Amino acid sequence: MMKRKDIFLGNGAVALGLVEAGCQIVTSYPGTPSSEILPEVVRLVKSEGLNTYIEWSTNEKVALDNAFAAAISGKRAACCMKQVGLNVAADSLMSAAYLGTVGGLVIVSCDDPGPHSSQTEQDTRLMARLAKVPVLDPSNPKEARVMARLAMELSEEFRIPVILRPAIRVCHARQALSWGPLKNNTKKASFEKDPARWAATPRFRFILHGELNEKLKKIARRFEGLTAHNFHDLEPGKKYPLGIIAGGIPYSVVRDILTEEDRKDIPVLKIGTPYPFPEALADIFMSACEKVLVLEETDTVMEYFLRDRKKVLGRLSGHVPSEGELAPQVVYRLVDKVLKDLGLAPFKGDRNQDALDLVASLDLPVRRPTLCAGCPHRASFFAIRKARPKAIFTSDIGCYTLGLNLGGVDTCLDMGAAITMASGFYHAFNQDQVAQPIVATIGDSTFFHSGTAGLLNAVYNDARFILVILDNEITAMTGMQPTPGLGIRADGSKGKAISLERVVAGCGVDFVEVVDPYEIKAMTKLLKKATEYVNSSTGGIAVIIARHPCVIAYPKEAIPERKSVTVTDDCTECNFCLERFECPALYHDEELGRTNINQSLCTQCGVCLQICPKGAIVEA
Amino acid sequence: MQTVNIVLSGLGGQGILFMTKVMAQAALNKGLKTMGAETHGMAQRGGSVISHLRLGEVEGSLVRTGSAHFLLALEENEAYRNIPFLAKGGRLYANASPKSFVRQEVKPYLDKMEIVYRAIPAGKIATDLGTPMSSNLALLGFFSAFEKNLVTHKELRNAIDQVTPSRFKKINFKVFDAGFEMGTQ
Repeated sequence: MMKRKDIFLGNGAVALGLVEAGCQIVTSYPGTPSSEILPEVVRLVKSEGLNTYIEWSTNEKVALDNAFAAAISGKRAACCMKQVGLNVAADSLMSAAYLGTVGGLVIVSCDDPGPHSSQTEQDTRLMARLAKVPVLDPSNPKEARVMARLAMELSEEFRIPVILRPAIRVCHARQALSWGPLKNNTKKASFEKDPARWAATPRFRFILHGELNEKLKKIARRFEGLTAHNFHDLEPGKKYPLGIIAGGIPYSVVRDILTEEDRKDIPVLKIGTPYPFPEALADIFMSACEKVLVLEETDTVMEYFLRDRKKVLGRLSGHVPSEGELAPQVVYRLVDKVLKDLGLAPFKGDRNQDALDLVASLDLPVRRPTLCAGCPHRASFFAIRKARPKAIFTSDIGCYTLGLNLGGVDTCLDMGAAITMASGFYHAFNQDQVAQPIVATIGDSTFFHSGTAGLLNAVYNDARFILVILDNEITAMTGMQPTPGLGIRADGSKGKAISLERVVAGCGVDFVEVVDPYEIKAMTKLLKKATEYVNSSTGGIAVIIARHPCVIAYPKEAIPERKSVTVTDDCTECNFCLERFECPALYHDEELGRTNINQSLCTQCGVCLQICPKGAIVEA
Repeated sequence: MQTVNIVLSGLGGQGILFMTKVMAQAALNKGLKTMGAETHGMAQRGGSVISHLRLGEVEGSLVRTGSAHFLLALEENEAYRNIPFLAKGGRLYANASPKSFVRQEVKPYLDKMEIVYRAIPAGKIATDLGTPMSSNLALLGFFSAFEKNLVTHKELRNAIDQVTPSRFKKINFKVFDAGFEMGTQ
């Protein structure tokens, strides 16, 4: 068998492990840092000619339910999501743990310590503990690949869903891996009816809970001897003043630091299976060390399992920060401090404070993320603020959260909350007879993900607001995945395109209109018409679909006619365009004493020709 | 081999990921062990982006501050922002005007730390060649004119050949070579 060596993204390593495990069904909803797993599965499946079924599901719960059904048909299935996606799938997860599986079910939930691209730093390992399912915590892409296979095998052997939790620094690490030809898994689907299990009522759930607890005991015993992922470097009979217990990324970070510092006097216990926790192994390690420092991301999990408050140093004792990423320099300093506190030899030294002070003194500009030049969302937010300046702007999760920069976003809670919070605000104000204008914005993919239940509810309970669906015909923020509206499936094949207009109408909305947001006047006019409808006694919720292709995904279609733009001396430096339109290509030119255009960033969309109150932005 | 730590920085959309990919591929081709870490997601929308690349026997993908041998920056302010990553004797390559780089306030620290710094107007070179988004390749070419011990100019060129889609090959080589030439002058 020919083996080749390629550099894999961590998410690609997870994909490789899943395919190598004979995974037959893979479902996912995109979200950083998990988004590349499914496309990497697609890539492997295409290059190796496999028949794996792959889908972008409409949300994470949908993804998990689909994979679960495959797993109880005896197949090997996986579903992939980001950590907050597991919240959406939690209902399914908790129940699936009790029911168990027949084949294999691996849930890949990617954590985001930092956070870099998420609304929370929540720790999937705690979710695993809550659901009572095993969780594996890889320290690098290589281990993530092996653990993906292990998770599938454990799941099938013990008939239990297993979670693989790679953190962002595993997902977006790159590492060279050897791999060889991949084969189809030919296992056929067969579903054996057993309503007492698959449709269990509470009485049977009690029995299933007992079964689950028994499975966990057996798995814990297995984990005690799982030396490939749970290991330490204690020398027999030796006692140590300090040992470190670490898992995931913090393990690889502290391992490198101890190697660089040549510190063989500090033993490390690496735990790749934080739950069920290998207690006996930890006991051996603990008894050889006077103090034990626990390094784990992002929350406190192993530290609780260790149950020895006098010996254990970690978050609960204040030695490890309770928020943020355990980056190498953070770990370096905190371990160094522990060494000093315990009267042990400190590290060789960290001469970096000068550099940090220097950078702080330079007053460097903070680079906030911003909507791209030419982004149709920018035009939408501009029109919305113009038409409804006093509204509360509820919004949602996606690129358009960056409407913040244009003053077009006041709230962002969770997927779908633009709509549910709009109805919540409406009822809160309406109760006081206050007619508070509300404009909600949500992207097309987010609407398909969790918009409909909230919209149905709002219509049913007679809330009044304008909902603008920002339809750029793609899931842009997470890396250009197709949406149901597009009708293209995960592998590029044709699916049935779902009409947003029909879905909205199906939710009971009688005002549904489509507009191209690049036409700011037309959109402003439509927003005014929508306002009248919302305020009328016979009206209701007005939905505007602002449809224009994403300028990154479809550069040609988004800007069919390029317009070269310049700024004249009519510019009075009022900065209206910079504040309210906030295009990265517009900047204040100190030398010229006016706004100017950075031609290398300008996409020549021409939208800004419609915005200057003095008419100073003109075609060149 | 002793571990080599490289930090690549710039703004979202400047092609940091591609530059990292090229260097990693070149290292892999030489049989070096590679580990890298990238920025994806919201920061890619114009925010500060940073990539880590480590060559050698390492477990983790992140470079610790004070331990980078090389810092490649596609934007001047991002070069300054990431100076804390550089180790004593490290080397800094930046897309900036050679006349004004570095800022006076920064110089004493770089001198004290024996950090070598070099600037190339990579953005201008790429724009003049009609491909303003390719400053990453100009900087990489420039880098290859000075740093031969890690990977040679030819090895980097081969890696570009491997990871570039065919329709961009000609222009990518053109920008890469222009950066190299400026470095050899």
